Amino acid sequence: MIRKVLIANRGEIAVRIIRALREMDIASVAVYSTADKEALHTQLADEAICIGEMKANESYLNMERIISATLATGADAIHPGFGFLSENCKFAALCEQCNITFIGPGSSVMKAMGNKSVARETMVNADVPVIPGSQETVTNVRRAREIAKEVGYPVIIKAALGGGGKGMRVAYQENEFDAAFKTAKKESEMAFDDGQMYIEHFVEHPRHIEFQILADRYGNVIHLGERDCSVQRNHQKMIEESPSIALSEELRNAMGREAVKAAKAAHYENAGTIEFLLEPDGRFYFMEMNTRIQVEHPVTEAVTGIDLIKEQIKIAQGEKLSLKQEDIVLDGHAIECRINAENPEKNFCPCPGVINELYMPGGNGVRIDSAIYSGYEVTPFYDSMLAKVIVHGKTREEALHKMQSALGEVIIEGIDTNIDYQYEIVNDPVFCSGQFNVDFIEQFQERRCS
Amino acid sequence: MEFHRLFQRRGAVSTEVRRQGSSPAVPKGLVRKCRFCKEAILAEDVRENHYICPKCGGYFRMHALRRIESVADRDSFVPWFEGMKCENPLGVEDYVQKVSALQEKTKLDEAITTGEARIEGRRVALGVMDCRFLMASMGEVVGEKLTGMIERATKEQLPVIVFACSGGARMQEGMVSLMQMAKTSAALKRHHEAGQLYISVLTDPTTGGVTASFAMLGDIILAEPKALIGFAGPRVIEQTIGQKLPKGFQRSEFLLEHGFIDAVVKREELRSKISMILKLHPMVTPKYAFPKEKKETDTKEAAKEKGQVSETDAVSRNKDKKKNGREYSAWERVLLSRKNDRPVGDDYIHALFEDFIEFHGDRYAKDDHAIIGGIARFHGVPVTVIAQVKGHNTKENIDRNFGMPSPDGYRKALRFMKEAQRFGRPIFCFVDTPGAFCGLEAEERGQGEAIARNLYEMSALTVPVLSIFIGEGGSGGALAMAVANEVWILNNAIYSILSPEGYASILWKDGKRAKEAAEIMKITAPELKELGVVDRVFPEPKDITVDNYAPLIQLLDRMMKKFLTKMSKLSGKELASARYERFRKF
Repeated sequence: MIRKVLIANRGEIAVRIIRALREMDIASVAVYSTADKEALHTQLADEAICIGEMKANESYLNMERIISATLATGADAIHPGFGFLSENCKFAALCEQCNITFIGPGSSVMKAMGNKSVARETMVNADVPVIPGSQETVTNVRRAREIAKEVGYPVIIKAALGGGGKGMRVAYQENEFDAAFKTAKKESEMAFDDGQMYIEHFVEHPRHIEFQILADRYGNVIHLGERDCSVQRNHQKMIEESPSIALSEELRNAMGREAVKAAKAAHYENAGTIEFLLEPDGRFYFMEMNTRIQVEHPVTEAVTGIDLIKEQIKIAQGEKLSLKQEDIVLDGHAIECRINAENPEKNFCPCPGVINELYMPGGNGVRIDSAIYSGYEVTPFYDSMLAKVIVHGKTREEALHKMQSALGEVIIEGIDTNIDYQYEIVNDPVFCSGQFNVDFIEQFQERRCS
Repeated sequence: MEFHRLFQRRGAVSTEVRRQGSSPAVPKGLVRKCRFCKEAILAEDVRENHYICPKCGGYFRMHALRRIESVADRDSFVPWFEGMKCENPLGVEDYVQKVSALQEKTKLDEAITTGEARIEGRRVALGVMDCRFLMASMGEVVGEKLTGMIERATKEQLPVIVFACSGGARMQEGMVSLMQMAKTSAALKRHHEAGQLYISVLTDPTTGGVTASFAMLGDIILAEPKALIGFAGPRVIEQTIGQKLPKGFQRSEFLLEHGFIDAVVKREELRSKISMILKLHPMVTPKYAFPKEKKETDTKEAAKEKGQVSETDAVSRNKDKKKNGREYSAWERVLLSRKNDRPVGDDYIHALFEDFIEFHGDRYAKDDHAIIGGIARFHGVPVTVIAQVKGHNTKENIDRNFGMPSPDGYRKALRFMKEAQRFGRPIFCFVDTPGAFCGLEAEERGQGEAIARNLYEMSALTVPVLSIFIGEGGSGGALAMAVANEVWILNNAIYSILSPEGYASILWKDGKRAKEAAEIMKITAPELKELGVVDRVFPEPKDITVDNYAPLIQLLDRMMKKFLTKMSKLSGKELASARYERFRKF
């Protein structure tokens, strides 16, 4: 049994975890940096211990200090939250070596899933669909063309040593392939002094669909439905919802089965997420597995009625999953908007400062997860997320209305935030129609500017 | 805000009762404490990070075998001279027992491990000290193992590499220990005389009799950052002189600045650096003749097409004439030679050579920043490159003393030249100085002597020497790097007995008449060519800068190849005598 948990994190997720612990009658220990002495998580926890200077490297990322804080406070488990050390397999291994329960998967699973090629191989072996592509690198254009045919057009040609879009070309049809391959290869040779190329199926205008899974140590794995996280800017999610209107019941079941299969193949334990890319024609591919609780977990909690943090703790202390797949019913529709201290008009530049006035909405089906208060100082040292507004309605339409109303009420004065921007999105006809994909924000920006 | 006073809080939570044997704890050996920053660090991180603290970057002392693993090719190390017996010459009580206890603990037979290894394939003799063993002090066995290794390396023509780290002589062995200093040094002298390379790597701490013998005798001396290196220990010095020593005293960087270390090298880069040095010291001295290029006319045509300056073309057409076609006056050339956006010494080094490794220090007093030098490759051939360097801006100029070398700079240059001679490397000198520095310290350390010594020694070097005047050639300060087989000059560079200002001031008691002086001093490239002071004049692009000097570099490159090919036909003796005759004629 876990009796005391140290939360190796800060901000709203630390507060979220402290609340869950409290409900479970488990003691909580907050760790904080010198910049977070006044932070909500520091003040709300049963105990708080300072672990270093404001720079994350010297505090929230300092494994040795967190371990020693755990031992010093007599905690028997660590909840890593998300970000910071949550997907650091070395930290997980360190906890294992020190006999501290790490609330998350084992270090070896984490390591395997954290390695793109190992994860892909695991999924290929388990027959989970991955983006079709060449197994090895190619240099010969004839061989490359054959591979392109196998993986199916459109294809993307990528430099093995590539990065920053260099040595990358898309060919939509076979007659474009040779030219695209040669250009990409030449670019790669110029930039990286290497002509090794990969060929991959190019997933056009996909949706980002992820499945929440829960797995206990006895091999029971269930999924808790999907989250549609297609509204993202530079891979940074902004709005998430569950369920996705792009999934028929049939497709949901199919993807859910693959997600469970993927988690089983990884020998996963605890809460995790399987990310898929979903093409407009319904084909979907495993992208990666997130081996932690996620920012957007509340939308799943809203539609399933399951407290994911509590489930994590129960699994970590060796309990069997009390739920079966058939118990999981998605009820209604939930949407989450992330409120960040950033200025969308200045290229989303972070805006630290003091919040001098604050009003947060409430009401039926409105949940606010946050760690800010009036007088709170947003420091430049950490992530700029201030709050998450989560709404739950019977239908997507109702949820949308709730979100529009809730965002309209939020008042955060003293610093710049993206509330107005988010308000515009949830009132945008394209967003409201639900007909969008990962290109949404880019197109929204264009519409906004024109 | 003090919410915690307002929040309803839980009562105290007891966590006293624990299950036996399963409570959280840090297993032994998982975490260690950094002796520099005092932080807890993971032992595994330390191992993976070359035994450097991952938090503060402090260097831990490395065990001999770990050091060998980090430097030598995998499984290439074969120990030499193992199992020598410790004699206990003073009959010190417990000494022998202490040594055997240490042998047991460290699994080493003495404070030094010697043997042969390969570094990126190159066979070397490698000695590594381990300070867990009586502070790696040098007793008879250490001296004997090291001397034996050096002797065998000399015989087998292997480079010697020693990683030093030691408290000095071994007190338990008294005078016998002291004699090891002479013995090891003598063996190194023979190794040196046999033309073989010795690289000494100083690690923390290298002190006492080890510093005062083999550690400081490397052809090339490298040191790890911040290592304590000195003869007397800092505590002893403080007690003796009754003063607090400055921060950084006797650390690697201090020694570098004082001219005793060629380079401070980060631990993670040591293997690659050593390997590079070894590659620039090949077993067989390479030939530096280059095959003849395409026919002269072809290249000329090609050069024309590409818009490059062809040598004869440019000299005759004087591309850098003023707009109205008039030649620059001598005074204008003086000003051009001093222009601050003119490419400086290191611009030429980086454009003309590959794999340049800069070495530092005169091994007497200082590392003069007005002269830089080291070894590099010229079309694959190892060469020695030395340059007088001005700065690109005021900050750099202050560091480089505006290109005015101190005696230490000339001594450093001479040291590099002697090394070049030992290993048969041609020498390239780039001259650009207003003159040797005239200052108090320069005189105290013998500016005149240093310049004289260079003229004297350079005259007899048995390798080709080429000096190229790229800017100002200020008097003796320039000549001290220009007793060469050939002396080349850029069209707007100058070479003079004295600055025109100084000349006017001495001759006419009026420094303001410098312009007038310049015209009569015969200091411009064409005039110098006529005098026979220089052998070749190179055209330079109008308003030369690093942005437009590429054609000049190509031309220099081609002519330097030709120069080496020509010189390769001469023996060492002939090279020296050609140089003698070149200057004898004046």
